[in-house]
Amino acid sequence: MLILGRRLPAPPAPPLALLQGLPRLPWVWAVAGLAALLGAATLGVLVGPVHIGLGTVVQALLAPIPWFGASSVDPSQASILWSLRIPRVVLGALVGGMLATAGAAYQGVFRNPLADPYLLGAAAGANLGATLAIAFAPGSSLIGVNLVPLAGFVGAALAVAGAYALGRTVTGLRNTIGLILAGVAIAAFFNAIQTYIQQAQTNNIRQVYSWILGRLVTAGWDGVLLVLPYVAISVAVILLHRRLLDALSVGDEEVTSLGISARRVRLIVVVAATLGTAAVVAIAGTIAFVGIIIPHTVRLLVGRSYRVVIPLSLLFGAAFLVLADTAARTVAAPAELPIGVITAFIGAPFFIVVMRSTRAAAL
Amino acid sequence: MREHHMRWAVIAATTIALTACAATSSNTPSSPAAAHFPVTITEASGAGVTITQQPHRIVSLSPTATEMLFAIDAGSQVVAVDDQSNYPPSAPLTKLSGFTPSIEAIAAYAPDLVVAADDTGGLVHGIGALHIPVLIEPAAKNLDDSYREIGQLGAATGRVPEASALEKKMRSDLAAIVASIPKPARQLKVYHELDDTYYSATSATFIGQVYALLGLKNIADGATAAAPDYPQLSAEYIVASSPDLIVLADTKCCHQGLSTVAARPGWSSIAAVKSGQVIGVDDDIASRWGPRVVDFLRTIAPHVKQLEVRAA
Amino acid sequence: MTKVELRGVGIAYESEVVVSELDLTVSSGEWLALIGPNGAGKTTILRAIARLVSYQGEIQIDGKAVHNLTGRELARRVAMVMQEPHMPDGMSVSQYVLLGRSPHLTYFGKEGRTDHRVVADILERLSLDRLAARPLDHLSGGERQRAAIARALAQQAPVLLVDEPTSSLDVGRQQEVLELIDALRAEQGLTVIAAMHELTLAGQYADRLALLVGGKLVAVGAPADVLTEPAIAIHYHAHVRVLSLNGSGRAVVPVRSHLPSPPGEVVP
Repeated sequence: MLILGRRLPAPPAPPLALLQGLPRLPWVWAVAGLAALLGAATLGVLVGPVHIGLGTVVQALLAPIPWFGASSVDPSQASILWSLRIPRVVLGALVGGMLATAGAAYQGVFRNPLADPYLLGAAAGANLGATLAIAFAPGSSLIGVNLVPLAGFVGAALAVAGAYALGRTVTGLRNTIGLILAGVAIAAFFNAIQTYIQQAQTNNIRQVYSWILGRLVTAGWDGVLLVLPYVAISVAVILLHRRLLDALSVGDEEVTSLGISARRVRLIVVVAATLGTAAVVAIAGTIAFVGIIIPHTVRLLVGRSYRVVIPLSLLFGAAFLVLADTAARTVAAPAELPIGVITAFIGAPFFIVVMRSTRAAAL
Repeated sequence: MREHHMRWAVIAATTIALTACAATSSNTPSSPAAAHFPVTITEASGAGVTITQQPHRIVSLSPTATEMLFAIDAGSQVVAVDDQSNYPPSAPLTKLSGFTPSIEAIAAYAPDLVVAADDTGGLVHGIGALHIPVLIEPAAKNLDDSYREIGQLGAATGRVPEASALEKKMRSDLAAIVASIPKPARQLKVYHELDDTYYSATSATFIGQVYALLGLKNIADGATAAAPDYPQLSAEYIVASSPDLIVLADTKCCHQGLSTVAARPGWSSIAAVKSGQVIGVDDDIASRWGPRVVDFLRTIAPHVKQLEVRAA
Repeated sequence: MTKVELRGVGIAYESEVVVSELDLTVSSGEWLALIGPNGAGKTTILRAIARLVSYQGEIQIDGKAVHNLTGRELARRVAMVMQEPHMPDGMSVSQYVLLGRSPHLTYFGKEGRTDHRVVADILERLSLDRLAARPLDHLSGGERQRAAIARALAQQAPVLLVDEPTSSLDVGRQQEVLELIDALRAEQGLTVIAAMHELTLAGQYADRLALLVGGKLVAVGAPADVLTEPAIAIHYHAHVRVLSLNGSGRAVVPVRSHLPSPPGEVVP
């Protein structure tokens, strides 16, 4: 080994065993995540307020393949499957995976276990945007897109940008507290405006309420296509930052001494996570809980490194939301429950069980 | 001389007596039935509201009550109506709110009767403390409730004959419309849409009752377990039910119509969409329980008739 | 030859001047100890070299100005061991030390076999190999100190900055750490700049001492020249004896004002 011009004796032959204790994603868990997602998706497609038999489902799924030809599937049932249920399952997976991944990313970037994707005001901004659209221009569209999700997206983005601009006035390398406080302030402000408008616009209270609690109202595949590019980019960027998120845990100063700009990493990750969060919130409303519960559960069960937490949060978050949505449209069928109710209902006790059954040392 | 005084005395007394009789037995629509007061009205909640004199400064905080008041010719007795009372157009619209009432603002109109649909924000207590009677006429669950409210408003405003006349007319109009529709071979299904997130109304609501009157089956009744009045239906369920008639009560608020409904994924297979039987009704008419329910029925009846002729 | 030069360096926190007019040169392979009373600015100077704090004047490493280097280039030249490094719970020792390879990786890069080999080597050298998989919160104070040094060494930077390597360690661990730094310096030609408040340890291990008082450089030179009784009396307001030990090394011993008399004896 050559260091600084001095030739040192050759190091001993590399140990046969790999370097111990490295953060690796255990393949068992990766497979479990995929299995959970596939299982949830299957259940989501098979179960619903309208009973569609297994045989019909299989037939309908295979129908597009020219080999099997157009079979005698009842068109209304095929329509329900392809236009309503399957896109809804796909959307649920995208939304759940995105929220869980964004939550994990925020926790890494702010080194705060209570961080969730709405920390910098994304939820408050989206709610305000949607409320404004519902109150003053309901049913209208802009560039072919329904105004409500568009306004929700813009609102979320503006809120986070505002929090960032406000937080930057706090200088110094230790400025995560400043950002978080700015986010709290922006969220409180936007929430206040939203509440004022909501109570003044009593005609639309039901709609606003339904939007805030979250619902996978799908414009069919249109909704999926709308959200997909944002989620794909956001998740890709966050996945690429796994190692850097781990590095950030030693603190801004030490990370800088390692040659990593903490500020830049934080900015990129926040922008990416917010982009994806804003998109899914615009379509599905503000679904709470997923962004905190899933990453923490993964940490408790598997490990803390973001090389583990990010990919598994993506898979298990997707599976979780698909299951929750299936419950939301089945439990009170043919009526629908807001999905936010289900996520809290399932999420909280599940988390308590995981926490108690895992060794205290793992915390 | 004494007989002369006696004769005048008798004439005077008789004149007075006759005039008094004439006054008490007067029944023309233009003169208020002053002797009708004071009157005590028993609300749905069981509480009794006493009105001592015929009110001439009524404040209405309920759009339906406003419609009813004007329909029983008590419009001249109304000085202010809330910001949602947009019918009839001649009603004295103000910025008063029926949802978040301000006691002071209401009191500024010096009312002698306040009518509202709910006791929100301590309305009854607040107005009651000013010794002004408050009549609460909540959302009716069915037509009988509506008729009763009309009757109560008639008693409260001294327009009892007008109120009973209105009730009679509504009953006969509704009966005529229902009679004009032939009985179908099979029961037709209807989906009543309140907003574009698929909130609907079951038969336990006023509007739901109207459909029952027409012999239609309301698909929202399948969801009463979740919410007895206004459940949010799943799109799947609506598509699978394939209602024969879709009534949109969200044309004003959410710009829904046949084209937007047909564009919803999977909805093109619904019977109502295929036959074009997607009707939009005025949001207000569909959400109130007043005399315009007849208009509502008149709007829907021809479509039901078309369907039933086809189905027969 | 990795020389570290500071010319006319001044550092201020808000309006308070912490260091002023500092001229200092550290030769390649030298161990320079920064000594001085509390608040003299020792830690601040180290942080300035690592560009963790802004400064006026010039700091150059091998003729290259520090402020012209990118973060990664700087981290490949300078490695810093903080006084109280943050040790994240649950992180294993090997993962922690692997963080030191960051300056050698691209932004999205992943560690490769070479990086693993370097880390495995360092862990063995610092007797941490058996603890490789152990989480940091399960280590003793001395083990944690070694882990922090290991991470800095993993950067393979020719300049090592150490802030108080021995505070809160017992005498055995203190010696262990200082011997280790000394040995590595000999092996790898490291240039070491250490902030040390322990005068005896500084006087034993460092080649040169720089005495800082109130942000100004008061004396610089070999221990024999800097650690003198008058100098310590003036700048530390302490009454000490300076002993010559281990060749050119010096030891500083405080003089007690009241010595207890043996029983029975009368104090003159």
